[in-house]
Amino acid sequence: MNESIISTLPKRKQLTLFNPFSKKDIPFAIGCPALIWQILFFYLPILIMIVSSIFLLSKEGDVQGVTLDHFRACLNAMHFSIIFRSIGVALLTALICLLIAFPFAYFLAFRGGRYKNLLLFFLIVPFWTNFLLHVCAWFFVLEKNGFLNNLLLSLNLVKEPIHFLNSFFSVMLMMTYHYLPFMILPIYSSLEKFNFSLYEASSDLGATWIQTLKTVLIPLTMPAIRLGFLLVYIPSFGEFAIPELLGGDKYYYAGNVVTHYMLGEHTAPLGAAFTVMCSCFLVISIGLFLWLTKKLSKFLMGGCQS
Amino acid sequence: MMQGKTSSLSKTSNLFLVVLTFLFLYTPIVVLFLFSFNAKAFPAPWDHFTVHWYQELFNSSALWKSFRNSLTVATLSTFLSLSMGILLIFFRVSGGRISRFLPMFYGSLIIPETVLAVSLLTFFSIFGIPLGLPTVVVSHAVLGLGFVVPIVYTHYLELDPKLQEASLVLGATPSQTFFKITLPLLRPTLIATGVLIFIISFDDFIITYFCSGTSFQTLSVYLFSTIRSGISPVVNALSVFLLALTSLLVLFFFSPKMRTRIF
Repeated sequence: MNESIISTLPKRKQLTLFNPFSKKDIPFAIGCPALIWQILFFYLPILIMIVSSIFLLSKEGDVQGVTLDHFRACLNAMHFSIIFRSIGVALLTALICLLIAFPFAYFLAFRGGRYKNLLLFFLIVPFWTNFLLHVCAWFFVLEKNGFLNNLLLSLNLVKEPIHFLNSFFSVMLMMTYHYLPFMILPIYSSLEKFNFSLYEASSDLGATWIQTLKTVLIPLTMPAIRLGFLLVYIPSFGEFAIPELLGGDKYYYAGNVVTHYMLGEHTAPLGAAFTVMCSCFLVISIGLFLWLTKKLSKFLMGGCQS
Repeated sequence: MMQGKTSSLSKTSNLFLVVLTFLFLYTPIVVLFLFSFNAKAFPAPWDHFTVHWYQELFNSSALWKSFRNSLTVATLSTFLSLSMGILLIFFRVSGGRISRFLPMFYGSLIIPETVLAVSLLTFFSIFGIPLGLPTVVVSHAVLGLGFVVPIVYTHYLELDPKLQEASLVLGATPSQTFFKITLPLLRPTLIATGVLIFIISFDDFIITYFCSGTSFQTLSVYLFSTIRSGISPVVNALSVFLLALTSLLVLFFFSPKMRTRIF
């Protein structure tokens, strides 16, 4: 007995030596591609981009050395105002989307009835078509003698056609249009799982619907609101196609500046530095937002206890 | 129960808001649809009815080339990210622990797409990789993984673990369990996620714009340059065509067979 056990031991060790993967490791090798892919094409590029922000380029575009000049070049009033404008636009987009999305999702989840799937269908169809086609569509609506101006003129609301295009208004409109479903869908799916008897209990116990909304519905759907907010806020901060096509050339937004630098002649490191700076501001603002919503949640729930 | 004035008031105002939202969503689409039959090009007002632009749409070779490119990119990247996601679940079924790696895949949620696109461009140019179809597919596969892994893994955790345990206890190997139990149970989720990331890849603009280079054009990049240089009603005709196509896909997505929820 003892002998046989001892004799088997080195054999097994030898086997594992020759085989690069022991039996236990094979599944890990199979599970790897996704991890390797994510590291190689997500984290490594971001790391390289961050590192490249300190590269000093020669006139031919070769790396000559290391410098902090790009960051210094970014630290001026113009660049800061661009970042704060982008944060403002993203924040405003997210807020408008939230104001539209919450009642919409509420209706869809609780009052939708048998039309629920139909309404959801009509919500998702535009969401899933190319957004550049939406931009094109809004051109037809907002144009000087387009649909909206004709409507306003025929209703005698305005005397002369308004220039809607190439303005802050058209950018905000398109942003809201594009990102609205990102806010509706998480809130809707959270409200749908919401236990409706809690709502009934609250109103049975004498709460008005505003009180119920404040102390029951909003705190319990807060994770979804938070998710929707981030899903709108983060991409709209970096958005560059919408301001590029609808914003005219009066204002620059973070996405446009990054694109301009990155695709420009030998200005890629400057673009990388600006991207790093933007990302820092973005991370800080997200942290602040998460902290604020936590406080708000506590405050709303606290109002219920007192 | 509170079925008083406030309740019904809030009900009607709510309905009003929903109607308004749908008006907001569909007015531009309807206008776009109507003007695809206009004889004169943007920004001219309505002239007379024509289907000329539809004929031109089906004769525009540059447009269809970019359309085919978009289809190729979306198919390849969907295949790549779905199969990588499935392999990851297989690893989990065979006893691996992936929960500690999982937060890595949420990165694409937190980082704006523009930043990822810029990073990928820097990455490709530093290693001297020529931009084209492969770089776009690789980048879209990263984008897809950010959806596939969290969605599929969440649905995998919601499966009844007893079914897989029973299979293992009754003597099936992990791979038999995976192919006969886990994969069939996950099939609706996988199809739904596949459709979702196919659409995302097909419609993606930002990453494609940076990673496609000058010679390779997908539909989004083509549309961007078209809109910049002036809108042709051919784009209207195209959007009507694409809307019909998307509706079919969404219909499939909502069909009773696909009773899975990934939102």
